[in-house]
Amino acid sequence: MKMAALCGEFGDLVQIKKQLISVISLCKERGLLHSAKWASELAFALDPLPKDELPPSAPFTEEDAQDLDALTLAKSYFDLKEYDRAAYFLKGCCSQKAYFLYMYSRYLSGEKKKDDETVDSLGPLEKGQVRNEALRELRVELSKKHNAGELDGFTLYLYGVVLRKLDLLKEAVDVFVEAIHALPLHWGAWLELSNLVTNIEMLKSLSLPDSWIKDFFMAHMYTELQMIKEALQKYQNLIEAGFSKSTYIISQIAVAYHNIRDIDQALALFNELRDQDPYRIDNMDTFSNLLYVKSMKPELSYLAHNLVEIDKYRVETCCVIGNYYSLRSQHEKAALYFQRALKLNPRCLGAWTLMGHEYMEMKNTSAAIQAYRHAIEVNKRDYRAWYGLGQTYEILKMPFYCLYYYRKAHQLRPNDSRMLVALGESYEKLSQQVEAKKCYWRAYSVGDVEKMALLKLAKLHEQLNESDDAAQCYMLYIQDIFSCGEQLEHAEVSTALRYLGQYYFKNKLYNEASLCAQRCCDYNDAREEGKALLRQISQVRDQIETPSADLFTPLSNSNTPVRRVSPLNLISFTP
Amino acid sequence: MMTNGVVHANVFGIKDWVTPYKISVLALLYEMTASKITLPERRRLNKLILPLQQGPDLTLGQFLQTVEECCPQTAYAVKLRLHEMADGELKDMEYFFSTLPTPFTAFDSEAYKTSVVGLFMRHMLLAYNKLSFSQVYKLYKSLQHYYHTLVADDSEMDLTSTEDTVGDRIDKEELDTPLHESELRGPLSQKQAEYFLARQAYLLKNDENKALKPAALQEELNNMLKFNPDFAEAHYLNYLNSMRVQDIFLSAHSLLHYFDRLILSGSEGKSNGDEGYGRSLRYAALNLASLHCRFGHYQQADLALQEAIRIAQESNDHVCLQHCLSWLYTLEQMKGSDSTVLTEDSVKMAAHFCLPYLASLGIQSLVQQGATQGKTAHKLMDALKDTDILHWKHSLSELIEISLAQTTSIWRMYGKSTMALQQAQLLLNMSSLEPVNFGVQQNNTEAFTVALCHLAELHAEQGLYSAVSEILQHLKEQFPPHSQHAKLWMLCDLKIQFERHMNEGKYLLAEPLVTAISALNKTEGLYRKAQVLKALNRSTEAYNILQRLQVHCEKTKCTEMIIRVMLSTAELHWESSGFSTALPLLLQALALARQHHLQSLASETILHLAFTQLMLGVPEQALSVLHEAIEPVLAHGAIMDKGRALLLTARCQIAAAGFKFAFAAYFSKLNCKERLRDVYYLQAQLHRSLGQTSQSNKSAMLFRLLDQELQSPAPPVSMRL
Repeated sequence: MKMAALCGEFGDLVQIKKQLISVISLCKERGLLHSAKWASELAFALDPLPKDELPPSAPFTEEDAQDLDALTLAKSYFDLKEYDRAAYFLKGCCSQKAYFLYMYSRYLSGEKKKDDETVDSLGPLEKGQVRNEALRELRVELSKKHNAGELDGFTLYLYGVVLRKLDLLKEAVDVFVEAIHALPLHWGAWLELSNLVTNIEMLKSLSLPDSWIKDFFMAHMYTELQMIKEALQKYQNLIEAGFSKSTYIISQIAVAYHNIRDIDQALALFNELRDQDPYRIDNMDTFSNLLYVKSMKPELSYLAHNLVEIDKYRVETCCVIGNYYSLRSQHEKAALYFQRALKLNPRCLGAWTLMGHEYMEMKNTSAAIQAYRHAIEVNKRDYRAWYGLGQTYEILKMPFYCLYYYRKAHQLRPNDSRMLVALGESYEKLSQQVEAKKCYWRAYSVGDVEKMALLKLAKLHEQLNESDDAAQCYMLYIQDIFSCGEQLEHAEVSTALRYLGQYYFKNKLYNEASLCAQRCCDYNDAREEGKALLRQISQVRDQIETPSADLFTPLSNSNTPVRRVSPLNLISFTP
Repeated sequence: MMTNGVVHANVFGIKDWVTPYKISVLALLYEMTASKITLPERRRLNKLILPLQQGPDLTLGQFLQTVEECCPQTAYAVKLRLHEMADGELKDMEYFFSTLPTPFTAFDSEAYKTSVVGLFMRHMLLAYNKLSFSQVYKLYKSLQHYYHTLVADDSEMDLTSTEDTVGDRIDKEELDTPLHESELRGPLSQKQAEYFLARQAYLLKNDENKALKPAALQEELNNMLKFNPDFAEAHYLNYLNSMRVQDIFLSAHSLLHYFDRLILSGSEGKSNGDEGYGRSLRYAALNLASLHCRFGHYQQADLALQEAIRIAQESNDHVCLQHCLSWLYTLEQMKGSDSTVLTEDSVKMAAHFCLPYLASLGIQSLVQQGATQGKTAHKLMDALKDTDILHWKHSLSELIEISLAQTTSIWRMYGKSTMALQQAQLLLNMSSLEPVNFGVQQNNTEAFTVALCHLAELHAEQGLYSAVSEILQHLKEQFPPHSQHAKLWMLCDLKIQFERHMNEGKYLLAEPLVTAISALNKTEGLYRKAQVLKALNRSTEAYNILQRLQVHCEKTKCTEMIIRVMLSTAELHWESSGFSTALPLLLQALALARQHHLQSLASETILHLAFTQLMLGVPEQALSVLHEAIEPVLAHGAIMDKGRALLLTARCQIAAAGFKFAFAAYFSKLNCKERLRDVYYLQAQLHRSLGQTSQSNKSAMLFRLLDQELQSPAPPVSMRL
């Protein structure tokens, strides 16, 4: 049903293409490069139009003709980043296009001066105070025009940007929505709006124009708000509607998969992306993170070399190289490259956290703490930095102290088992077994990534002499390990089997006990014990010949809070 | 700049830099050396220099006004100099800096190079010389702006301008308003920030009332952190500030943030030694423990403390261990368990490691425990005297105050109101030893609150209610209700009000106070509730509460309360005429009171005892018991007790006298009419004074009959045995 509606909406791909082509030229004329880039990428993904279908260029008014010379001159100055000069020659022009360029160059001039100023300020404390001096004047003029209703889509967008820079967020949201209504095809306005939307309620309360571009926006928003399922659905719809060749969509889907830790899917998509767009640098840091997690050294090395050839002074490149060195355990160099990334863009969140990880590897805990703290300063909701801080203090043997940080991380990612396991371990170190048990159980319930929670829980029960619960956990652990298929390095199936064997033996369930003991013999470290147990079982069996029905009575009388221990059918889990 | 492989955000490492305000201060200094100023004016200006140097940047208007108050002539000269620079060209400013007397070269210059002024000038010159071309230009621009805002402010009134500029002006001002505030208060330099933080922290500790209000302080700190996120000390002050408003979330956050930052700054060079970041780790854990302790999370505090102890042990940091130990016994005490042994250990170790503060703090804690456990008074006083010697030797003024307050409390507990009064006065009349007082003689610490509360209660006991209300008013002003020690005087105030209503018999007014008291102190609240119930004749309920209270107090070893509960229970027994059942209870209470040297409670118990005996019909016994108590009651007791004691004596005497009058029968047997006449006379007087008219009349009639019979004038009664 929904699909049909969508198809109807997107049916006229030709129409969309036409719109895109016209908006590209509009953006280019005004120096809005990123929006032009986005639109062009999308237009490229659609089939080319025949010659006679190409949209006519925008109508040329009397005013435009008047300003033509000044505009051309100013645009060339603008392109050469001589913003003040451009603004000077545009003063007094009356066409909308010239007015936008006039205001935009004044804005950019202010921004440029601000950046220069930051390096050359009077003192370190003044740094926070440096701001774009032009903003207030721009706001005064734009608000006057806005009240008079003389602003077009592009100028509205600029007005919104100015408001946002002045921290007048509420007004900015209103103006951006207005800008979108005036000119739905300008992706920059959508993007700015997406930065201001903080939660789903706010998103729902916005009144947005009903255009095909809204679907792109919604998908982007869902990704930002970590509603990955919805986002993936949206992108899937877009692909089916005819944008299957768009690199933008592919990269967005890959990032979404990365966010939900579906590594294989994400990797496949990134590889596809690199096939289609080999010189792309955007999002490649995410790709390198995936390769790092999978320990794919040759691929990462290839990617790093490739990116260096394209452009070595990009934040993404530096991050990729940092990851590469980190994977090769050259942590000093890795840290160096993350530092370089931060010099290129101090607000690059990922680099701070990654640098913290590198310092952790180098056992330079104080530097790691600083890096993580910086990451938190940039974004308070960065759970990896909180988690990293917790790990640092755990290494410094301060289990109580690190609880706070793990709790913070857990608060931000309530369904991530790693934080829960870390919390549980800290509680265990503090001899708070009750809390620890809760953490491990919760970690298992939310889907344990590392498959460690159950084992730890079982060991905890073992320590507390809660043998029924322990056996229950070991059994679940074995099921868990075998059902996931792949062999994990740290798997301790033998420990579990050994304990289960003993447990069944104690409860006089000799059949199950001998089964476990036999399985034990498959593992080197438990072979001897398995054999010993088998011998014991056969001895006991020789001594007493009891009817099997009695065997279950002691168990059924015990009132364990966890689910009943059932005889184990190990055959089905044979690896 | 890189340290330990980390990029520092503070690239410049400059602690101070030139601002327009600093230029005006420099101009002031210059004018002070250059021109002739009269001596009193010079003195006032000299006093001004330090606050001007350390305080936050002022606007030119404020600055000139401050100077003008001291010396109008100099203020004018400074303004003129600034005017020259601002209305001139860049070279005028450069010229100004070059003409400044350089403390580097001139030995005979007034600003000696290591003096405060000399250092300031050197800082400024260095900072100025470091500036690049564009920075100098920018400084000049901001100086012009700085000067012209003053001029604009001055001439705003008579400004005449064309219409469209007026429109522009309004527009601009409208938009300016949200930015205005932050623009006025520029960023603080490192020096200024340090000074600000030190001062606020000092005030928070010693005189909370004078510190900035929590919200305002928070805003200042946020502002400071916005401009310099690396300024870790601000996080610590933030923690202290959040503690003030009982915000556990923010205070924990700030505390951890501070130590995260501290670890960085302390990490240069040494990795795990005494000074390195290992040290701050230990103290981080310890501080976390204290945080949880203050919020009453004893289990959490315990865990954090154990962690601190473990890390300190691993690195052999005895000083840190001592701090941990003193927190450990504090924690034990707060949990309500006996921690005498721990405290003694702590004192011994602290003395061994030469930590006088911790040692005497431990002794004070021991004295407190000893007092409640009934240690003999001279031992306690001796211990306090010893610590006092230590305090004066190391001039630990804070501990001196605590010690005096503690002595006051102990004397009051023993029921020696005069001594308590004397100690309280001693504390209140003492001026503080702290070197920096910011113009006040005394601090408003907890010790002062305690002493003032005692003073108020002592006055209330004597019925001097106007004095009490004055003291409470003072307390209210010094410790506003939101501050950390306010609970002490609130409880005291409530108790006094309660007593007053009870004495006046307005039980219904006293009842609502009970809830307020129990909010501040549960045990006290329960006791007061029982008292109200008793007064309202709801004996069963009162009895139940008293029983519960007694069990609770025996658990917490709160002797004073136990005795008071026993007395109340005895009073309940009286109401049901169970005088003989009350006796053992009272004897028990008396034994307890004597064992703990609680004189006032002992006297009160004796009064109760005497009354019981009176009711049991043995007034002679009662009188003899009373003799024991009457002296201390008259010397130290509250006027309520004094009155009750005297009345009781009188009643006993009457009762006993009733017995004595029976001797009239002997006299009549002897027919010793003269003596009998005296007896009748006395009887009549007594009855009349007691208002028993008919009996008085009867005795008077008998006297009259005898008198007529005898026909001789009676000699004065007192002349005879």
